[in-house]
Parts: sequence; C-alpha cells; structure tokens
Amino acid sequence: MTERLLDRQTELLKYLTSGAAIFETETDTSTRGANFGMDSRLLHLEARFSHEKRMAKIGWALSRTLDLLGTARSKFIRDFAETNPPLSIGRLENSRQFCSFLLARWGGDPPYLPDVAAFELAYAEVHAGDGRMGVINATDAPLGAIRRHPRAVLLRTNYDIRPIMEDLVAAPPPAPRDTRLAVTMLPDSADPVVFELPENIFVLLEGLDEFTDPGTTEDEPGMKLFIADLVARGLVEIRQ
Amino acid sequence: MTTGARPLVGVGYRSILDEWIRNNLNRFEVLEVTVDNFKVGGEASQAAIVDLVGQIPLTAHGIGLSIGTDGPLDFAYLDEIAAIIDRVRATAYSEHLAFTQVPGYSLGNLLPLPSTEAVAESVIAKVRCIQSRISVPFLLENITYLFQWPDSDLSDAEFLNLICSETGSGLLLDIENLYLNASNHGVDPYAFLDALPPGLAKEMHLAGGVTVRESFLEQPFLADSHSHRVPDGAWDLLEYALVRQKPHSIIIERFDAVDEILDDVTHLRTRIDRVFGAPA
Repeated sequence: MTERLLDRQTELLKYLTSGAAIFETETDTSTRGANFGMDSRLLHLEARFSHEKRMAKIGWALSRTLDLLGTARSKFIRDFAETNPPLSIGRLENSRQFCSFLLARWGGDPPYLPDVAAFELAYAEVHAGDGRMGVINATDAPLGAIRRHPRAVLLRTNYDIRPIMEDLVAAPPPAPRDTRLAVTMLPDSADPVVFELPENIFVLLEGLDEFTDPGTTEDEPGMKLFIADLVARGLVEIRQ
Repeated sequence: MTTGARPLVGVGYRSILDEWIRNNLNRFEVLEVTVDNFKVGGEASQAAIVDLVGQIPLTAHGIGLSIGTDGPLDFAYLDEIAAIIDRVRATAYSEHLAFTQVPGYSLGNLLPLPSTEAVAESVIAKVRCIQSRISVPFLLENITYLFQWPDSDLSDAEFLNLICSETGSGLLLDIENLYLNASNHGVDPYAFLDALPPGLAKEMHLAGGVTVRESFLEQPFLADSHSHRVPDGAWDLLEYALVRQKPHSIIIERFDAVDEILDDVTHLRTRIDRVFGAPA
C-alpha cells in the first residue's frame, strides 16, 4: 500500500527537527536518512540550516539570555531542540517556546537567568505590538471604563535585572529582590519603556484584564489624577 | 532587442529598512511586502506599510501558506492574508511551491515536493481554491532545495508548467533559486528557462547567497541567504530569461548592506536596458 504523502512529510519533518538530524554527524545519521531514500548528508545540512535559522529568531528576542547560558549553552540548546520541535515560523512563538523551556528547566548559574529571559520576552512582545493586542474590544463597556493597556506586560521577577539589561558586562550580578515591572509603549515612542511598580499598583493592574467602571472610586481624592498618570505611562486604557 | 513594457524594479520591504526605503523611494518602482511579516507586525509597522499605499505599487509575497502540505489549506490564515492583500492594495500575491509544515511541526525552511502528477493535482486544487479567495493574481515561486524526493518523475519545469497551465496561475521566477539548483544539482538552467511558456513569469526575484563547505559534503553547496551581491551567473540567467519572459516586476531580495542593494538595483537596470533598450 502506498504511504500517504502527509505521513511521509510528517516523518521527514520529525526527523529534520530531531537532535539526531541537527547535531549528529553524517556517519551517525546515514542510516536514518537512507530511510527516506534521500542523501543523509543533505538532510543533515537541511536540519542544521533550519535549526540555525530558528535559533537566530530566538536570539532576536532573547540575546542576553543566550549569552548568559555560558558553558551550558550547547547542551541546553540541544536539549531544547530535542524536546521542543518548532511549531511556528514566528520569532515570538519560537522565543516563547524557548523561554517556557528555560523557566521549567533552569536550575543552574546564574540564578537570575529565568528573570532575564522573561524580561527579554516581554520586551520583545511589547516591541512587536504583541502583548494582549488580540483582546476583544469590549464595545459594551461604559464610556470612561478603564482596563490594563493591551500593550502593557506585567512581570514579577526575583531579581532586579534591569541594570544587566543595560550593560551585561559592566553591571554587577543582580542581588535577589522581589521586583514588579511593567513593560509598555508610550504613544509615539519607538521602543518600549520599563517601570518598576509598587506592589499595590501592580496588583491593581493585574486585576484590570477587562474594562472596569472606575466610577465608584473616582470620587476619592486624587483618583482622577492617578488614572491619568497610569494612562500617560501607557499602563491603562480608557474606553473612549 | 525585445519590445513590451519594461519590468518595474524594486526591493523587498522590511521594517528595519523603512527609513532607508522612504529616503530612496524615487529609486524604486515597486516594493514587495511579505504578508506574514505584516500579519505579525505591530500597529506601527503595519501603519508604515499602509502609508506607502498610493506612493508606490506594492506586491504581496508569502512564506507561511505551505501549499504543498498534503492536507487542507488553512482558510483562517488565507482569509487573513486576503485582507492584508486588500489593505495594501497589492497587485499580486505570490507563494512558494513548497511545504514548510505539517500538524505539530513547522520547519521554517522551504522544502520541495515530490514532482509527480499526483502531487501536482493536489496543488492544482489548492491553487484554484486560493484564486477564489483572493482578489489579485496568484503566482507560484520556484524554490531552491538541498534534496529531492526519490519518487519525483517530472522535471522542475514540467512540474511548475503543469500546475500553472491548469490553473492559469503565473510564475514568480526566482533567478537565484534556479542558479543555486543548477550549481548544486546540475539542473540545466537554460533548459529550465526554455521549457517555460513565454509570458509565464509575472514577477522575478534576484538575490545573492553563500557557499557552504563541509567535510562531509562531496562538493561545496550554495545556499540562498539573501546576504550578498547577485552573482554574475544569476545576472546572465536573468538576461536570458527576459528575452522570453515579460515580468511586471523584478525584486532584489536583500535586507542589509543598503549600498550594495543600490549597486544591484543599478546593475539590474543596466541588464534590463540590454534586453529592452535604454528607456526613452
């Protein structure tokens, strides 16, 4: 019986995204390549090219993270490739896969690496306009209702890693400190901005997934100014 | 000397080149927008592309359709692309005759299909479906490949011609891909060009790649990296192709080294002049 083309394509992609095809030598892969009736050396080259392209996409968003992997880099990337085949051609999607893998697996040095990865991913998402931009416009929300700005991404980190994001080489290793950050875009700004937030405002913003009528609190002293400040910082959106 | 409209000359648009492209807009007659980049771009990058509408013709190019996957088309994706095509008022929409993904795996590299009549029939049905859902002509692009399927029994040109003749779809002739396949696999590029019906190529691509040397390879391989000047061999193929093909546009695919892009644009016009004569 003739094998369906989709089955053959699936087997081929499984192979081309496998650690064996990407990392092993021609000698190691020759038998498996021959199963497709193709030149195993060329399949190895295809697999390697595709993997390098994927890692370049991940490096676009997570460059500091990759640098900080240090001597663990080769082994870690291989483990990632072997357990996380690419699901999309997108830079952000591949970066999210890598970040999730790192957050789940990293137990090494430096201990603040998961924070760096989460920060870099958030920054890339905001820069690409891919925070929560897909959220549905709640047209039935009352005018004047507020919600967390769809562009804003909130981040809890165990270290204040902002100095090493500025200068990886010169900044001292960050000390442990619970830090609440917001990454967002200001109107007419080309690059994201980062704010450190007090815990109470962080929690407030976390709860503002949906448009909420601020009417009950608006009479409190300073509330209008407070909301205006959050809007100016790109953290809150008002239903117009 | 040949007659007919001269092809428009342009480059591929990328957000990182936006400022440079705007500053040099009068050097180009067309821009190629990658619809998949538009799709995932933020508001600002989308607005920058939409701002170009009316200033210069835009043509739409895709990398994410995977028309060759042996499964149903992704209609949700296609409808998003159709909306982008309308939004940027693209003159055509091109995609690669290739597959990049199956459920659960997305390689991100263009892979060849078995060149058989059965596979062509499957692609023909999809092309017809695409044509019914988009508002502009659909073009298929020839790819470069590292390997071929053992059951392929049609030549590259026969495979493309079969699909294009059955569907009326045009060809986006990537000269660099043809040049690479000739070098890597011994395909006769002139025989390929001779086998194409006159007028089939509606658009063309030019680019420059790198040579890959590995101890496990019997010969160096050329790879399509869009990172170097267009090689002489590709210019010669372009000139040969232009005698029988009258594309609407020719795009230089390069996204760095802007001075070299402009050099290639200038040289492209020289090559067009040699076939069409100097512009009046």
